[in-house]
Amino acid sequence: MTPGKKRLSYSYYPGCSLHASGREYDISTRALFKALNVGLKEVPDWFCCGATPAHNVDELLSLSLCAKNLSLAEEVEGDLAVACAACFSRLKTTQHHLKEDDSKRKQVEVAIDGPAALNKPVKHILEILAREYGLAKLEESVKKPLLGLKVAAYYGCLLTRPPEVPELDDCEDPSIMEDLLRALGAEPVKWSHRMECCGANFTLSRPGVVLKLSNAILESARFAGADCIMVACPLCHGNLDIRQKEIKDAYGAPDSTLFGNIFGSELHGGSAPDQRDLPIFYVTQLAALAMGVASGSLGFESVITDPKPLLRDKQLL
Amino acid sequence: MKNKLMHLSNETMNIGFVKKVEALSGSSVRRCFQCGKCSAGCPMSTFMEHPPNRVVRLLQLGQGQRILAGRSIWYCASCETCTTRCPNKVDLAAIMDALRKLSWDADGPSKESYVQLANRLFIENIRTYGRQYELRLGAAFNMKSGQFLKDLMLGPKLISKGKLKMFHSKNKNIAEIEGIFKRIEEMRKKGEAL
Ligand code: SF4
Ligand code: SF4
Repeated sequence: MTPGKKRLSYSYYPGCSLHASGREYDISTRALFKALNVGLKEVPDWFCCGATPAHNVDELLSLSLCAKNLSLAEEVEGDLAVACAACFSRLKTTQHHLKEDDSKRKQVEVAIDGPAALNKPVKHILEILAREYGLAKLEESVKKPLLGLKVAAYYGCLLTRPPEVPELDDCEDPSIMEDLLRALGAEPVKWSHRMECCGANFTLSRPGVVLKLSNAILESARFAGADCIMVACPLCHGNLDIRQKEIKDAYGAPDSTLFGNIFGSELHGGSAPDQRDLPIFYVTQLAALAMGVASGSLGFESVITDPKPLLRDKQLL
Repeated sequence: MKNKLMHLSNETMNIGFVKKVEALSGSSVRRCFQCGKCSAGCPMSTFMEHPPNRVVRLLQLGQGQRILAGRSIWYCASCETCTTRCPNKVDLAAIMDALRKLSWDADGPSKESYVQLANRLFIENIRTYGRQYELRLGAAFNMKSGQFLKDLMLGPKLISKGKLKMFHSKNKNIAEIEGIFKRIEEMRKKGEAL
């Protein structure tokens, strides 16, 4: 789809998280697209993409679930917009695999009892904002620049990996999020953990893993002087936001708890650790805020680590 | 285990298993020259008894059983860092998937039960409802793993924030999902799919 006079318009696969724990991502995506006058129409009766658990143990099932969703998406016009980084990765990977591997494609076609539809471009929201709508036009549309807001742009694992599949940006040194932040008037910080794993879906089975990995991410962002973190994935958001207090309890002040004693922060070598709360924003929340969308319609009330004090402080509310 | 001498012979090497892994993953293990880049970048290697490069080495030596007996494969987060960075295009993330599938199908000898339980409930949820419902998933996990109090404080907070849905419905096209599961099972029974 070329940006021109024609109004941009997309079909939309929200995915399970965006209908529950990541509802503010869904709400803010819709609000942002409306503000930018970009069409967004949800694919009817979409299924779970299978996420990590399905491909973890059953690749054929994972490919079939995604292929089924891709064929459901054919019913709605426009390239397929995906907000969740995990769904995006699964849908893209499926297209890529099935195009390359005829025997797998045939098996999948038996499983879904129909032809695999592999040609609809699947696009992540970031790509749509930065490339299709375009940074220059985005910058022009800004009504309330996010001045003075220092943001750690967090990519996580799946947005750019493996390099053959998502084609979103460089797999080791991406810049799409930082570019977007600059267009919105915010200040992206330089930091070390922007592509480290948050522990992803271990949040259910082994939350201890999440506490350790997500703690390292939060510490790195604080260390770089960030006021907040921007994410593009509901799993990353859940781990960094919902578990943030728990992470603090486990790794925070060295003398506060038994856990603190044993696993005390390595970064700070005994000195009082930086304990600031770091609100976690979805990319669409920050973008919509900059476009002048009323903060009341961006789902901030659903967030656990309250972003309002920070936004008030920066005069963005 | 690490420092014990390993005797290699036709009896101690299971090459058939390695071939299965290669077929499922579409990636050769022989290309690996043990540079260790995969393990250097792996966020989960601290939780693994065999970090990714050693998993490949064990496969090269036909020692699949040693991998399956441990927890490593279940602690892989599928972040794809290893695959992205391997200079020899060994698709380690796909190899991890293949190992998990083989372990899963054999009703794995692995010690790691929580991750497998979570995976199983997740997939059952898809088959029954079409979509994932986190409250149901969390509750079922706590019941079945016997950790009734896990995340007890989190639940009510998330519900009040609208993050967990108390009620949900099935997809109205749920029969199509059941069809997919059934047809995959049939293909496997007939030996038409791995
Ligand atoms: S990065 Fe590739 S070549 Fe290097 S040890 Fe890992 S699998 Fe082997
Ligand atoms: S995909 Fe698995 S093995 Fe590879 S780097 Fe990520 S966690 Fe480690």
